[in-house]
Amino acid sequence: MISGRGRGGGRIRPPRRQGMIGGDAGDFETQWDILRSALREIHTKNASTLSFEQIYRASYKIVLKKQGDKLYDRVKEFEEQWFGTVVMPKIRSLITSNLVNITLGAVTGITANERRMTGEEFLKGLKASWEDHITTMNMTTDVLMYMDRVYCTDNRKASIFTTSMGLFRDHILRSQLTGSDLITFDILNSVILDMIEMERDGDVTNKAIIRSCIYMLEGLYESDEENETEKLYLTTFEPAFLKASREFYQKECTTLLRDSDASTWLRQTKKRLVEEETRTQTTISMLTSQKIAKVIETEMISSHLNEFLAMEGSGIKAMIENDRYEDLTFLYQLISRVDPSKEPLKAALSDRVVELGKEINKTIESTNFSNAPEAGEEGEAAEGGEKSKAPKQQSAAAKATAAAIRWVDEVLTLKDKFDNMWKTCMNEDLILQTALTKSFSDFINLFPRCSEYVSLFIDSNLKGGIKGKTETEIDAVLDKATTLLRYIQDKDMFERYYKKHLARRLLHGKSESADVEKQMISRMKLEIGNSFTTKLEGMFKDMAMSEDLTSGYRTHIQNLGDLDRKQIDLGINVLTMNYWPMESMGSNNSRRDDGTQIVCNWPNEIHLLQESFKAFYLKERNGRKLTWLGFLGSADIKCVFPKIPGKEGVLGRERRHEINVPTYGMVILLLFNDLAEGETLSFEEIQSRTNIPNQDLARMLHTLSVLPKAKVLTKDPANKELPKAGDKFGFNSSFTSKAVRIKAPVMLGAVNRVEGDEEHRETKDRNDEHRGNVIDTVIVRIMKARKTLQHTQLFSEVISQLAARFKPDIGMMKRRVESLIEREYLERVESAEVSTYAYLA
Amino acid sequence: MVLRKDQLEVQLKDEHQLIATGVLRDDSPLDLTPEFQKLCDACRIGDLKGCQEAIATGANINARDYFDYTPLILASLCGHYEVVRLLLESGALCERDTFQGERCLYNALNNRIRNLLLQYDYSKSTDPLQPLASHITSLLTRDNPKTSDICLTASSEQWNLHKFVLSARSPYFSKKLAANPKTTVGKLASTIPPEAFQIVLHYLYLGEVPSDLGLSNRSFVLEEDVFKGIDEVSKQLEIKSLWEGILSGNDRRLARQRHQDEVTKGRNQLEDWFRNNVLKYKIEVEYSKAHDVKWTRDNGIFADVLLRADEKVVEDSNSGNETPKARDTACLPIGIPIGPSAASRSPSTTRKPRKSMLFPVHRAMLLRSEYFQAMFGSSFQEAQLTEYLQIVNVDCSPAVLEIVLTFLYTEKADIPIEYALDVLFAADMLFIEKLKTKATVVISTIGMGTGGLADRSHREAGHDQEVEVEPINIYDVIHAAWFLKVQRLEEFSARYLAYRLEDYIDEEEFEEMIKESASRIQKRQETDSIELLDDIRYYLSERFRLRFEDSGLEEIMDEDGEIHAEVASVISNAVDALRPGAEPTKVETTPVDPALNPFMNGEIRTLDGDVAGDEFAADAINYQVLLGKIDSLLERLKLDA
Repeated sequence: MISGRGRGGGRIRPPRRQGMIGGDAGDFETQWDILRSALREIHTKNASTLSFEQIYRASYKIVLKKQGDKLYDRVKEFEEQWFGTVVMPKIRSLITSNLVNITLGAVTGITANERRMTGEEFLKGLKASWEDHITTMNMTTDVLMYMDRVYCTDNRKASIFTTSMGLFRDHILRSQLTGSDLITFDILNSVILDMIEMERDGDVTNKAIIRSCIYMLEGLYESDEENETEKLYLTTFEPAFLKASREFYQKECTTLLRDSDASTWLRQTKKRLVEEETRTQTTISMLTSQKIAKVIETEMISSHLNEFLAMEGSGIKAMIENDRYEDLTFLYQLISRVDPSKEPLKAALSDRVVELGKEINKTIESTNFSNAPEAGEEGEAAEGGEKSKAPKQQSAAAKATAAAIRWVDEVLTLKDKFDNMWKTCMNEDLILQTALTKSFSDFINLFPRCSEYVSLFIDSNLKGGIKGKTETEIDAVLDKATTLLRYIQDKDMFERYYKKHLARRLLHGKSESADVEKQMISRMKLEIGNSFTTKLEGMFKDMAMSEDLTSGYRTHIQNLGDLDRKQIDLGINVLTMNYWPMESMGSNNSRRDDGTQIVCNWPNEIHLLQESFKAFYLKERNGRKLTWLGFLGSADIKCVFPKIPGKEGVLGRERRHEINVPTYGMVILLLFNDLAEGETLSFEEIQSRTNIPNQDLARMLHTLSVLPKAKVLTKDPANKELPKAGDKFGFNSSFTSKAVRIKAPVMLGAVNRVEGDEEHRETKDRNDEHRGNVIDTVIVRIMKARKTLQHTQLFSEVISQLAARFKPDIGMMKRRVESLIEREYLERVESAEVSTYAYLA
Repeated sequence: MVLRKDQLEVQLKDEHQLIATGVLRDDSPLDLTPEFQKLCDACRIGDLKGCQEAIATGANINARDYFDYTPLILASLCGHYEVVRLLLESGALCERDTFQGERCLYNALNNRIRNLLLQYDYSKSTDPLQPLASHITSLLTRDNPKTSDICLTASSEQWNLHKFVLSARSPYFSKKLAANPKTTVGKLASTIPPEAFQIVLHYLYLGEVPSDLGLSNRSFVLEEDVFKGIDEVSKQLEIKSLWEGILSGNDRRLARQRHQDEVTKGRNQLEDWFRNNVLKYKIEVEYSKAHDVKWTRDNGIFADVLLRADEKVVEDSNSGNETPKARDTACLPIGIPIGPSAASRSPSTTRKPRKSMLFPVHRAMLLRSEYFQAMFGSSFQEAQLTEYLQIVNVDCSPAVLEIVLTFLYTEKADIPIEYALDVLFAADMLFIEKLKTKATVVISTIGMGTGGLADRSHREAGHDQEVEVEPINIYDVIHAAWFLKVQRLEEFSARYLAYRLEDYIDEEEFEEMIKESASRIQKRQETDSIELLDDIRYYLSERFRLRFEDSGLEEIMDEDGEIHAEVASVISNAVDALRPGAEPTKVETTPVDPALNPFMNGEIRTLDGDVAGDEFAADAINYQVLLGKIDSLLERLKLDA
């Protein structure tokens, strides 16, 4: 083969090889014969005698000769034949008429056991043929490797393995049965479903055999593309399974609803869920696990949830009532499966909380009602001078206070109960927590005196309740108080009460532990914010300062040198006006109508003392104004009761007593110093000489002349009613007491107790007034920043800014806006469609 | 992020320092040998064949010449795309962020080459020996199909190992096993912790020596003991370098280099072993008796299977007669020899009885081919363990099988051009992609022949008389390319044909081939152009374009002034006159016979025999003539393209 072309130059070219291409049909047949007999051997499990190399070479040659398509088709054909002649007859023989009948849903009249036996036989047969098929096809794939790699890839055909899987699907599973419309698949499905049903009813079945059939379905696909979503298992078996399950559970749920209670229902559902989960693991495929759970959820839980919850005697009400924690736990678990927002449970819990809360409110209120009118009456009656009833009033007030504390305790118990439930049963679910919080807050705020009661509760604890308690216990109490505080909407109201109660505690030295007080304050600071506690902290600061002042003054006096025996020892509290709630401590009756302080006429000794202290105080703090509050302090007075002639025993001796009385009491008693024996002073006289407000005076005299503990004065007429104008008072020289030191019981003012209706209204009015101011400030602040704002926007802004302190009343806000417009802070924007305000100046 | 020049220079300095202190081996050492010089020259002029030959003779592809040029830099600087690709495929380094690498990229003549260089960036390309090493390492853990033939135990641990690997890698085992080849179990000293053995074995199986021992916290042995154990074992097994490797630091580059050295060393050991055992013990028997050869399992070279390759016979009656059909089921008579026939190089085999060659080999190594993996993994005859070794037929000639085996054992493939096609087919059948690529490279480089870039139409008179031996039959190549879907060979064929088109254009076979190419496409119905012809046209234009450029240059340079502007214009007019519509008829009517029209009186003739004024004009005419011929060919074949 020398090319004659090149310009005169010879060229030697290697010879062409023969037989590289082409090839004729005869050769194909020879190779195919080799292959076919090999395939037959493989299928009859005789592969060990075959030579891989030889078979491979045969297929290699065919493919190299571009006859891959022929080979591919022949192999397919071979498989089809094999299925038709060998595999299928075996399987057909296993399909008994009974199986067909089951599939058709006809009544068979044979026992479950028989059914199971025949079913298992069938499954076993199918499984065996499937496993054989897989083995042979693996081997076939090995020998046809070259065809798969070259021919199939080039022509975008599915590999022979895939194709043969498809053949198995079409020729075995989908082959029609003689004498009916059924295909093998229908039988398979119904057998498996039948078995599962048996298992659900409590029978034992051969799980392994079902499992392997399921594996087969998982390995097969709808088409040769082998989409993961098109597994036969998913397309054929699963829907049937889910449908059957749905029916089964529908039935079961209806039965349960008819025959059992909620508790059984919960347990049964739980059991079914576990069962099905196990089934997906051991019997069918994990792929179904989610879906079957869903079926149970919809059929067993969602569909009749409310009916079960409402069940009398076992529904959610009963569960909560009777602390059936286990049931609640199940219920929570089930509900959280179907409804992430847990709406039904949430609603039920909230309702229950509010219901119980309202009950508490009602019982407390009813005890209050039984007392309140009485107290009111007595208040009037007392003024009328019926002294006998005064102690009763006291006890009524104490009762009311006790009721307040009981209310708080009960609320806390309720809270504890639900908290406990929430922890043990609800997995500390946040959604439910908010729901609980909300419902607690709802019913607490429904109770008009919640702020006062909570403050009182804290007060009672700080005053003595914590005595002898360990630190952790105290912490628990404080925690409870803080929790309650969190629920209260009108924080300003609470602040008002707390200030009042705290002031009393501080001024009268009733506080058990300053440390705990401070803790409480810091907790509030954390809970509500800085602005809330500044004044409270200021009060503490004043107290500390006052102590310094007192001792400073003492040294100052001592340094003056002239130690006077008669010198009165002064302990003083200097209170900053802003911090302390003067008016709420009963000083409002010491004001005139124009609001200026009524100054009582201090006795001379006291007046001197005041002047001396004032000088001392202003020396360092120039420009301050000191106002003396007589109604707040107390004084120790040494009294000498002369011996009464002609009397034996105690009265026969001279008695010295040290009486602790309020400052006003001291002022009054000093009047009697100058009185001659047997002389009396009338109420009016005392009033005019001391200038003590009537009400205070009456109370004071009541303490000194009526109550037996410190009855150093006589009263005429001598009844137990509250002293009033026209009464006369004299020195009770025949006073006796076992104690040397006597503390005059203070009727009002020093003890924190529930306010009367009147007081309550006053507090409320004051609070509203204060709120009005606060709203004014907020509105002006907002408008200053925004310049113009629509009505609704303004209001929502105000509400959001005030949320931490209280919930402003819409009407009040409107009034405030009007008043601001009047005062020309704001103006209406006339041109705007919706009402809009603009900031002026 | 690319490093700045100063950073590169600092790196270069550091590297030089390391090299000077002997810590690091120079990636591109100075090489002044004539062989290397030859490689450099070939790279300069773009001589593919020269390059391949030089590489095959073992010139260091990454060395540098007197001017600090590496072959890769030269080739990319001179713009020889094919050469650059060959060099990169053969393992030339072009690493970014190194001085030499950046220099190479910077010098690249055009973007095409630059992109090619970037593609082969070292970090992406693998160590050429990596597949071999990882295969051998994987043998340690692979248990299906079973390939191990010795089981070593140390306290609670046991390893299933391969005698041939042990013997090749460790002189100690070599001696031991030579003395007692039948051993199938072995006990290791119980005083040495198994962890030490684990590392040693990993090393023997070409695994990377871990920088830390990887001891888990739970293990009861101390690191110290393990080190001691390794020391002891490595001394006993006479593998000192392991100990050195463990002692060396953690420098990644050093570790890489050491690992590479180790693998190379291991490969060489394996190769020695392979040559001294497998190849030494290959047996040549008569074809008819080949099947009866019986080797026991306990042979001295630990082979567990025999591969058989039959010499090919030219299809004639003799061979048919000699084939004993009845007896030989494993080797059926081959009606059509699919594999390439080797008749041309095995002279008169028909006279002698046909021979077969048997290679005693190890399944463990054969597993590198997917074909053997499937074979030994299946439950067919070959996979069963029999008393005597299975004889497995491989459908190729002994020489080719030897090349394949050499590749499987050593990753080396020296493929003579005459076997290249056979190897290509064998590799395809056995699913050895790498070998296929290598054969492709050989064909597309050596196969180009001396033609190279030097255009044949301007050969000097002396050469004309020389008989050119074409190394390869291009028709075979293109068919192989089509069969085996080797894109690169298709390209090569087109180029080959384009550069020799005048020789082929009128052949009938060429016509057939065009038809076939066309039919291939029609079957796919994707386009209606003929791929092969398109390619040929492309390379044809490339061929002449280069010439034109060269000629233009020459024209200016020509001091003798032989070519006058006047003459040139006249000639170009003549050429113009020739053109319109005349060619097809002319080509067909004019008998082309350059032999009858030798170059006389310095006349320059075109392919159709006309006198051309000078080479430049001749080229232009030649180009047109060839294109015209293609057109007329298409017309004849009634194909549109």
